[in-house]
Amino acid sequence: MSGNIRNILIAVDESENAKRAVIYVKDLLAGLPGFHITITTIIPRPPEDYFITEQEKNDWIEHQNKTARGILEDYRQIFIQADFREEDVVSHLVMRECTSLAECILDEQKSLSCGTVVIGRRGISRKEEFIFGSTSSKILHTAKDCSVWVIE
Amino acid sequence: MVKNHMHEHGIEYSEVRQFSPDDLRDQIARWIEPDRVPKRFNIITDTSDFYRVDYDDVVILGDRPYLIRNNEREGRFGIDDQQKYWVKRALDLSDGTVKIIKLVFHERFQATVGGIVFDCYRSPQKEARILALTRGHPRFMQGFSVRDSSNNIIRVLDFIKGKTLADTVPLLGNDHEDYFHNHLPYLFDEFVDLVQAIHFLHSHREKHGDIRRDHIIRDTATGLARWIDFDFNYLHKENMFGYDLFGLGNILVYLAGRGDVTVQKLQQESSPALARLTANDFNIIFNNRVLNLQKVYSYVPEALTFILLHFSAGASIHYDTTEQFLHDLLEAREHLRHK
Repeated sequence: MSGNIRNILIAVDESENAKRAVIYVKDLLAGLPGFHITITTIIPRPPEDYFITEQEKNDWIEHQNKTARGILEDYRQIFIQADFREEDVVSHLVMRECTSLAECILDEQKSLSCGTVVIGRRGISRKEEFIFGSTSSKILHTAKDCSVWVIE
Repeated sequence: MVKNHMHEHGIEYSEVRQFSPDDLRDQIARWIEPDRVPKRFNIITDTSDFYRVDYDDVVILGDRPYLIRNNEREGRFGIDDQQKYWVKRALDLSDGTVKIIKLVFHERFQATVGGIVFDCYRSPQKEARILALTRGHPRFMQGFSVRDSSNNIIRVLDFIKGKTLADTVPLLGNDHEDYFHNHLPYLFDEFVDLVQAIHFLHSHREKHGDIRRDHIIRDTATGLARWIDFDFNYLHKENMFGYDLFGLGNILVYLAGRGDVTVQKLQQESSPALARLTANDFNIIFNNRVLNLQKVYSYVPEALTFILLHFSAGASIHYDTTEQFLHDLLEAREHLRHK
């Protein structure tokens, strides 16, 4: 295993299942020393041709960043209020083009040397998984050198 | 004098050449009947307002003038004969060839397929990139893109004379069995080529974006079927190419079935197959289309059924890549009659 298993990456978005993943980790690890938690949001940036004007693109980026920063801070506070040390809980915002969100999450896992990745399962329909794929399934199938926790 | 063309992402830039009305009228007279030559016409270099680009106008793109003819019309899924005002048929006055000129239409909308909603948009840039990427490829429509005087990315496409796959397949053969043994094998070979063409796009991280059976036209000039229309784009989720693969699966089952084999069709024919079909035998998205054709036509080989069932409601695994799909197609080809 390349990353430290006590170095935990939680990938979140604005969904309820992401919140469940955060609360699960908080409940599981509260009071245990030696864990470092990174809460990350990866915003897949639309291709350049999605935006009609530069202004529209800048507005979109600003809005997404602001929303994501709010979510990350809310989740970080969940840990702080459960007596995790501030320096052990960090947030990490990434905006980039993603061919696959799962690949982007695993890229972060590698670059941050996290030995554990935690994600919430969205519970998408079979139809949606068929056409657009499932991020949690892809992470489960492609993650190497790390443990994956999928929270229902 | 026109400055040299520069290329950025396959889009040509060139200074718009100046033409006098008399010069253009002479050029028009080279290609159309004298009594059809318009006495007065607009000369347009900025196509931003495509509603104002009309029949008998001349649009100058780079160093070439185009005489605008009719608007193209919507295909299978559009409202009956709805005009596409941003897509014009035109005559290239430099050489008399027929072109399709696609003007910029920033359309953004949410599409729904099988109850799944996703964000879609038209992308002139994407189509321009793919035109450049596939230049000379016999399985793709051909053309180039050029900026007009207001920097709009205009696509100038060679007109393809021919019918769509959707128009031709149901007419082949005396019945399904005759079609399956005597026509499908060569269509299947052609389909493999078409899937390889899509694989080529995917390997360059481009989606087709709108794979449908009426987006394949058999070019009478070459006899080969070509993919058309690359400007449709969508914000993908986990699998960037999943929607393209879904489209390919729909075309394959259309080919194998000699058209859509639906519950309604089987009911009309009082087919005994109806009693054998279960929910898992139908398309995962279009619930009235039969995927397990073997239950309707017993001579459909196992290897082809195996592929088709990847797109069924009962599938536990799906194709993630065109490579996987091609692998199984080539295996299934061995079980179809050879030409």
